[in-house]
This record gives sequence, structure tokens and C-alpha cells, in this order.
Amino acid sequence: MIEFRGVTKTYPGSERPAVDDLSFEVPEGEICVLVGPSGCGKTTTMRMINRLIEPTEGEILIGGEPNTRISATELRRKIGYAIQQIGLFPHRTIAENVGTVPSLLEWDKERIRRRVDEMLELVGLNPDDFRNRYPAELSGGQQQRVGVARALAADPPIMLMDEPFGAVDPITRERLQDEFLKIQQDIRKTIVFVTHDIDEAIKLGDRIAILKQGGTLAQYDSPENILTNPASEFVASFVGTDRVLKRLSLTRLEEIELGPPQGNGGLPRLPEQASLKDALSEMIGSGAERVLVISGEGRVRGSLSLDELRRLSGRAG
Amino acid sequence: MTPEGIVRVFLRPQFPELLLTHVELSALAVGIAVLIALPVALAVRSSPLGTAVAINVGNVGRAVPSLALLALALPFLGFGFAPSLVALTALAIPPILINATTGLREVSDEVVDAARGMGLSESQILRDIQLPIAAPVIFAGVRTSAVQVVASATLATFIGGGGLGNLIVEGFQRGDEAILLAGALSVAALAVATEVLFGALERALTPKGLRLTRRKRTK
Amino acid sequence: MEFVPAGFVLLQQLEPRIMDWGWVRENFAEDVLPALVGHVYLSGVSLAIALAISLPTGVLVARYRKAYPPVVFLAGLLFTIPSLALFAILVTVPGIGIGPNAVIIALVAYSILVLVRNTVAGLDSVPPETIDAARGMGLTARQILFKVELPLALPVIVAGVRIATVTVIGIATIGAYIAGGGLGQLIFDGIDRLFPTMIITGAALATALAVAADVGLLLLERRLRPWARRAGGQG
Repeated sequence: MIEFRGVTKTYPGSERPAVDDLSFEVPEGEICVLVGPSGCGKTTTMRMINRLIEPTEGEILIGGEPNTRISATELRRKIGYAIQQIGLFPHRTIAENVGTVPSLLEWDKERIRRRVDEMLELVGLNPDDFRNRYPAELSGGQQQRVGVARALAADPPIMLMDEPFGAVDPITRERLQDEFLKIQQDIRKTIVFVTHDIDEAIKLGDRIAILKQGGTLAQYDSPENILTNPASEFVASFVGTDRVLKRLSLTRLEEIELGPPQGNGGLPRLPEQASLKDALSEMIGSGAERVLVISGEGRVRGSLSLDELRRLSGRAG
Repeated sequence: MTPEGIVRVFLRPQFPELLLTHVELSALAVGIAVLIALPVALAVRSSPLGTAVAINVGNVGRAVPSLALLALALPFLGFGFAPSLVALTALAIPPILINATTGLREVSDEVVDAARGMGLSESQILRDIQLPIAAPVIFAGVRTSAVQVVASATLATFIGGGGLGNLIVEGFQRGDEAILLAGALSVAALAVATEVLFGALERALTPKGLRLTRRKRTK
Repeated sequence: MEFVPAGFVLLQQLEPRIMDWGWVRENFAEDVLPALVGHVYLSGVSLAIALAISLPTGVLVARYRKAYPPVVFLAGLLFTIPSLALFAILVTVPGIGIGPNAVIIALVAYSILVLVRNTVAGLDSVPPETIDAARGMGLTARQILFKVELPLALPVIVAGVRIATVTVIGIATIGAYIAGGGLGQLIFDGIDRLFPTMIITGAALATALAVAADVGLLLLERRLRPWARRAGGQG
């Protein structure tokens, strides 16, 4: 859906490129997270997609067509855009903010009104309470939600998000991430998401592009593969020495083949939505060699032993 | 000197004419100043160097004493309404230029970036985002300028520009306190009225969302 | 407009040269220098009195907030009255009359608004946690005011002094009309005699004085805020 072909960006007056010969593809309906240390060109890379920055070399194809085929403003109206600083228009109501791109596209008033309400509901804000308020009357987390609603309003097939959950407290961030994943299950947008936080990347990404200083691609792969087989020293140190644990946190108990329910009531019990990392933590904490996995209805689904867990994580070593 | 003496001055047939000249001088000066300062502020808005130059020129301009400006018009432009208007316009420009430049600069980069990222054209960004957000600050500059020009137009009398200053000068020359006070009071009333009127306009021009932002900031 | 005698043409006939440097040289010690000194004196005395009134008033109304709106309203009203009108009103007050006193009273009145407002704004800009920390370390209210609040408020107060100084220097020129002396004297005499050299000398010196005071106080203001400079350098 989005394809980078040998894209290089060198800023005027700078000797080294900020983004160097980047080629990769983001498949339709997936979340691609661009991640890396500051100065790795991840934001520049994202901003070249909607031409807020023009590449020095190479081209970017969207749906098979170069993104220079239509005018920059026309292109941007088809691509949702949400940034960390949100950039809500302080002089406009929440409804007017969310309705920005639909108005630019000259939708009729009634359709915009309905769409605005729908979007506010989608991001968990009651339209009756928020429609006529101004950005200054909202908390940081609420503003972030409006920012996402505004980016989604014209139903663009593509969304660009630059640390959209960066400016809120960790608990709110966690919740916004969970809701975001839930929304994405329904809307299936092609999303390019920028973050500096590898945990956020692992949690949200279908694919992760790890960039390193100088704007080169260090690895582009699924979170699973990046954690299991880091392509280089740089990737290994960037994902951290706890990558085995991170990998375990990607898999939920319900997703693996469980052993028969052994032993008795003395074993610790875990819900099936818990991750392998939770299971490991429980075993270490309780000193047990095995945990029981319980289904939603409280039935024992099976069990997982420490040996089995070791085997599952073995490849990650 | 009696209150009746002052009222008698207000009832003179020349009084409306002096008042009108005063208002005319002031309104034209501020109007022309807006037409000069605003395009300059718009032109320099995306250049940090231009912005700095505009603000510094404005600051130096604001320091120039009003009597100095009016008096300087005399040797170069002569006596009368037009030279006074030129001097008053020069006086009116700095506050508008400073406020328009800083007002446009203070529209946050993120807001402009978000607007651009959503596909607003540059002219839409200016018209729908930057100008409305900067409007209260720009208008505050127009208000400062208007009040200052109404006050300084009193001095136009010294270079033959007319206006209510004529009464004050006449009062001094004839040693007539009634005329002197009639002039002083009418000028003071006009200045206060200008301040009140423009203050009300400024509040009306501030979008509601920005009033909320401002209140939040001052808490 | 009965006293509009002449236009540009007449002026050119009377004085072919716009600037007569010979006059400046001959009359420097007798006219120009005293006017400049008189101007500095008028402005300086007025500012000193205005500061002596405004600083305590500012500290007081910053504490007793109810008094702030009426004080600012009154000072704002005074500030709005055009200077020539205020001079005219003051000279009719018995005991004042024409002369430097009326000018100084007006200049003080004009300075109060800016000085009080900036004193309050400066004190407001001191972070509450800083005051809290000072209190926690056992400083008395008096020590907090003089050792913490006023030093931190100083840059904003100096910014007010800067605006007040420029305003006072400008308005003092008009004071010459009611026999206050200063550089305005050169300007008014020049207008009376249709002698451009005097007008230009007076106007140029008044402008130079105002701009110099503005720039000088701006530099002082920046020096008083080393913390802001550092933050600015990083951003």
C-alpha cells in the first residue's frame, strides 16, 4: 500500500542525509511502527509520506502511484495526521476541529455533524458533552482522543501518527494504546506510527522498522522476529537485554498448546488472557514449577510447566 | 471660569468642525497604518530574520517622541492637515507592526503543522488558522495605536493640522481657562471613549476558545 | 484654524538650508546643552518619584488583590488622558500653575500605571513553590520579599521602568509648552521662528535620548535574567 523506493532526504546545509536510501513496504491494513533513537530520521520518514517534507531522492508510492501524482494538499486530505503536540485549533470547538477535513472536502453539514458524533463516540468521548467545548476545556488525554478522532474523520485509508500518545501519563497512555488497537481491529487502516519507545512499538506494531542514526534501516520485521532474531548488535541493544521477556509478553496463554491439567488445587492459577511473561513471573514468585490456566468461565483449560516455557522461549536466546 | 463658560465653548459653531478634524486625522492615520503594518507583518511571518527586523524597527519607532515626529514633519512637509496625517501615521505604525508580527509568530508551530498535515492550503492556514488566532493580539495593537494617535492628534495644532488641540492653544494664548478646559476635557473624553470602544471591539473579536485559553493561563 | 500662516514655500524662503550646523555650534552651550540637561533632569526626577510611589503600591496591591482593579483602573484612566490636555488641566489647579512642577506631576501620573502593573506582574511571576521553599527554610515574610520575590521580579519591574522611561522622555518634550523646559523648548522655539535647525536638533536629541534609554534598559533587563538567556540558548 505504501512503498518507499530508495528514499533519501538531505536537509539543505547538512552534509549527511537525515534519511538514507530507505526502501520498504507497508502492507494494507497493517500498523507499521517506525522506531529508533532520536536523530534516526523516523519523523522525517513519516512526514515524507504526506509531503510535509519532500525527499531529495527516490519516491514514495501509495497504492502503486507516486505520491507526487496529486497536489500536496489534496494528498494530505486523504491521509489522517495525528501528532504528539496534537495541534488542536484553539479557536474552534471540538466539533469544528474534528470536522476540519470533511469541511475541506465539502461534505454537507448534516453528514459532517453525524460523522463528528460518530468519531467522538469511537474515541470514547460523549458527543453531547464534548461537541461544543473548546480545546482549552479538555484534559491532555481528552485532547489526544480528539486529535485521533480528527485524523480519522474523513475516513482516510492511511493514517500517520507521530507519538500521538506521547504527551500523557503512563496509565492514560496504556489505556489509549489498548483502545487504539481495538479501534484498529474494526477500521483496518494502513497506519504509519512513529515512536521512540520500543515497548510501544512491540505492543502496537504488526511490523516494526528500526532506524538507526543517519536514517538507515537497521531491521524491518514483525515484533516476534525482531525479538527472536535481531539483525545486528544495534538492534539487539536497542530492543534491550530483556528481549526474551518482551517476546514472552507477546504471546497469551490461550494462543499456545497447553499441557494436560496436572497436579491439584495447590498450583497457582492464571486467566487464559495472561501472557507467557505473566506465567513466568507467577512461577518465580510462587516457587511452583507449573501453573494452571483458567478459562473465562472458571474452567481449568490446561497447564503450563516451566520446562515447556523454557522451550517456548528457547529460540529467543 | 464657570461651567457655563466651558459649555459655551462646546456650543460654538467651530467646535463640531474641530472635533471632526480630530477624529478624521486619527481615523485616517490608524487606517493607513493598518494598511501598511499588516501586509508587512504578513510578509515577514515565515522569516525569523524579517520578524526580528520588524519587531526592532517597531520598538525603535515606538520610542520616538510624538512631538518630535510632528515637529519634524514641518521642515520637510510644511504646515497643515496632510503633514500632520503623515506624522500621525508614522506614529500609528509601530504598535500595530509589533503586535501583528508577534501575534502571528505566537500561533504555535504544532497548530500550523497539524493544519498543513490535514491538507489546508497555505492561504487557508493564514485565513482560517493564523489570522483568527492572532486577531486579538493584532487588534490590541490597533487599540494601543488608536489611543496614542487620538492623544497625539492634539499636538497637530502646533503644525497647523487642526483638531481639538486648537482649543487648548487658544485657551493658553488668550489666558482663558474656560476655553483651555473645554479643549482639555473634550480631548480627554475622546481618548477615553476610544479606549473603551476599542476595548469592547477587542473582546468581541476574541474567539471564545481563545478567551478560555487565556483565562486558563492567568490562573 | 486661524493661526496657520504658512506653508512649505514660505518656509523654504525663510530658511533655505534645512540644517544650519553653524547655529548648533554657536548655541550649543547656551541653548542645546541646557535643554538636554533639563530634559534628563525632568525625566529623572519624575521617574524617581514615580518609582517611590509605585513600588510600595505594587507590593501592597499584589498582596491585597481587591485593591488591584481599582488602582489599575484609575491609573489607566490617567494614562489615557492626552498629555497636552492633562497639562492644561493641571495649570488651572491653584498652587500648581505653569512650570516644571506641573510637568513633573503629569509625568509621575503617566508612569504609575506601567510601574504598578509590572511590579504586580513581576511578583506574580515568582513560582509559588519557590516562596514555599523559602518559607520552609525559615525565612521571614520580610526576608522572602526582599531576598526572593523582589530579585526574581526585578526583570519584569525593569521592563516596566523601560516603558515608563521612554513614555516620560517623549511626553516631557510637550512639557516645554507650559514652560517646563527641556528639549521641547528647542522644538517649540523652532516652530515659532520657522527655524528648522532648532526643530530638528530638539526632535533628534529627544529621539536619541528615548532610544538610548530604551536600548540601555533593555540590555539591563537581559542582564538581570541570566536564567532566561540560558533557557533561550538551549531552545
